[in-house]
Amino acid sequence: MKNKRVNAVVIGAGAGGGIVAKELAVSGLSVVLFERGKWPVYDEHPTDELISQRTEVLDSPFGPDHIKNPRVVVEADGRRRIVTPISGGYSNNAACVGSGTVSYGAMAWRFMEEDFQLKTVYGHVEGSTLEDWPISYNNLEPCYEKAEWEIGVSGDDGLNLFAPPRRNKQPMPSFEYNPEGELIYNAAKRLGLHPFPIPMLRNSVRYNNRPACIRNRTCCGFACPVDAKNGTHNTVIPTAMSTGNCEVRTQCMIAEIVVDDKGQAAGVNYFDSKNNGHFQPADIVVVSGGAIETARLLLNSKSKLFPRGAGNNYDWVGRNLQGHAYTGAFGLFDYDILDLAGPGATVALCDFNHHNPGMVGGGLLANEFNRLPYLYSNIRPPGSARWGIDHKKFQYEMYRRTSQVVGPIQEMPAFDSRVTVDENVKDYWGLPVARLSGSRHPLDYENCKFLSAKAEKILKEAGAYHTWQSVGGKGLSGGQHQAGTARMGNDKKTSVVNRFGQVHEIDNLFIADGSLMVNNGGFNPALTIMALGYWVGDYIATNFSSTKFRAG
Amino acid sequence: MVAGGLMFMPCCRYPEQPYRFLSTEEADCIIALTEQIIPRDNYPGATDAGVIYYIDRQLSSVFHYDQQTYRNGIRSMQKACNEKYKRLFQDLQVPVQIKMMEEMEAGNLNSYNWPGGNLSSFFNLVMKHTMQAFYGSPIHGGNKDYVSFEMLQIDYPLVIGQNRYNT
Repeated sequence: MKNKRVNAVVIGAGAGGGIVAKELAVSGLSVVLFERGKWPVYDEHPTDELISQRTEVLDSPFGPDHIKNPRVVVEADGRRRIVTPISGGYSNNAACVGSGTVSYGAMAWRFMEEDFQLKTVYGHVEGSTLEDWPISYNNLEPCYEKAEWEIGVSGDDGLNLFAPPRRNKQPMPSFEYNPEGELIYNAAKRLGLHPFPIPMLRNSVRYNNRPACIRNRTCCGFACPVDAKNGTHNTVIPTAMSTGNCEVRTQCMIAEIVVDDKGQAAGVNYFDSKNNGHFQPADIVVVSGGAIETARLLLNSKSKLFPRGAGNNYDWVGRNLQGHAYTGAFGLFDYDILDLAGPGATVALCDFNHHNPGMVGGGLLANEFNRLPYLYSNIRPPGSARWGIDHKKFQYEMYRRTSQVVGPIQEMPAFDSRVTVDENVKDYWGLPVARLSGSRHPLDYENCKFLSAKAEKILKEAGAYHTWQSVGGKGLSGGQHQAGTARMGNDKKTSVVNRFGQVHEIDNLFIADGSLMVNNGGFNPALTIMALGYWVGDYIATNFSSTKFRAG
Repeated sequence: MVAGGLMFMPCCRYPEQPYRFLSTEEADCIIALTEQIIPRDNYPGATDAGVIYYIDRQLSSVFHYDQQTYRNGIRSMQKACNEKYKRLFQDLQVPVQIKMMEEMEAGNLNSYNWPGGNLSSFFNLVMKHTMQAFYGSPIHGGNKDYVSFEMLQIDYPLVIGQNRYNT
């Protein structure tokens, strides 16, 4: 059966795509929202650490299937290794309706004004493609606000000295500190720092007809049993569906964006849940597959005018792959400091995000999310027993007495940190898979050392009798916070899309996810991806009647 | 009649071979190895927690690509034990077992390596699987009766309110 033509196809029902689908559907456009995974079901993997987004030892609770979806990683020595979601090094983002917003820790950060103009603030960085965004914080501010109110954020930016200006407060009051958070808060205060409660995409009070958080132990990495964690799957996507304009088509793998000989997107070829191939015609196509899958799809969409992939005539698609090197320190205490109430992370500080002497950027610091027993079995001071009776004793004596202060470093975009496609390795559907290669900029490791030292100082001040640093920042980038592979810019020769997420030279092809981001901030990026979803969605909805979006 | 019928359930017919992938002798070796990775003290150890059942079950399914590493690793480890002590690993005294494990971990037994593998990475693999088995969810074969959760004083089953309980 032939698919009926629709106004818009949106590919990927995560943080970006779910919002674009909703914005278009409520403005009256007909939308098909494609998702390669299924609707998330809490009961399938309720509290199982080994099948959680935190470890992915035996399976990925929210997809993708680890047999059907390999990738290739190129090691520093040039060797190629096939990886899967459970093998490590895969940089997995959940493949389900809501994607990462189902199982994330749900920190709700706005980037700071500086994050949008790093080059202006810090100047050129050797070996980096660091650049200003073509939009400013002020452009995005109303979109941040919309994300905070429609998806739902608890927080009080009035308590954050470094928070960017805002017109309205966050809709729900902030969460309380847990005992560990209180300890870190007091220590940071004594050091003259400015700690505050972490803003969260999680209900501190009943909101949007869903209950308040019950402090479930298995929060970050898991779905919420009472639906108090806010993602696109329980907010904007149901809203889009309720308009009658949006069909969510799950378990569909998009094979390519069909670009016609005039250079317009005509629709998408895809495989349905029974592996039957179809064509879905549309006036516009929006890609929101996450920085790795979006780049892969563009590269796999070859056409007469774009023989190297859609939007890739200047070889920028897949470039500048960034994530977050996590860096920080651990501290051991003489008494129990963890209560294991969920999610665990309650206090943060932004003193080190910018204007650190001699540094470009920086990152936030926060106490860490609950660690379940298997993850904790890897946490030991350097030189400790890795097994045997001493390892076991440490496990039961220190499980509630170990604190971690940690944060994501602002990575310097690197041109050779990239996603390509590997023509020799195909997925279950016969499509060339994503290949990840390159490495982080050397500055990232230096910045990580700086931030880890700050974290260790806080833990010492908090009374830890023993501390040690865990310094990140080397090797391949990517991970769950993947970003940057279809950069926004004003020049088609040094970017993939314009300031509205519109692919240069393909008027009716848009991107709305972390791929757009010129840099990834020193913050968890979910709220910024959501804001970009509103930014792109609003532009499309406002300008749709203009004939340039009509294919053919 | 019903009770009598249950005695002939298929799962009960071969009690002498409780494993899916490992042979009994291989399993005895892994049991001894994992017991020293997480030994019994005032709390249960790897054997009590059924770590072997997790490892065997995952080797026959999700971790099938580790099968050869286990097979080669066990063989090569036993060869080393035989040449040094004329015994199988599981028959050694505990302090001697620990000494062997330290040698494996440190890469001092590399003369027993096989093409494409070595004893220290085999040891690391078993160690990782043992931690998963002991500290992970019981539904995968290890952590029998939530022994590690009890040791860590983590409440179980996790009561999560709203009339929903994890079983």
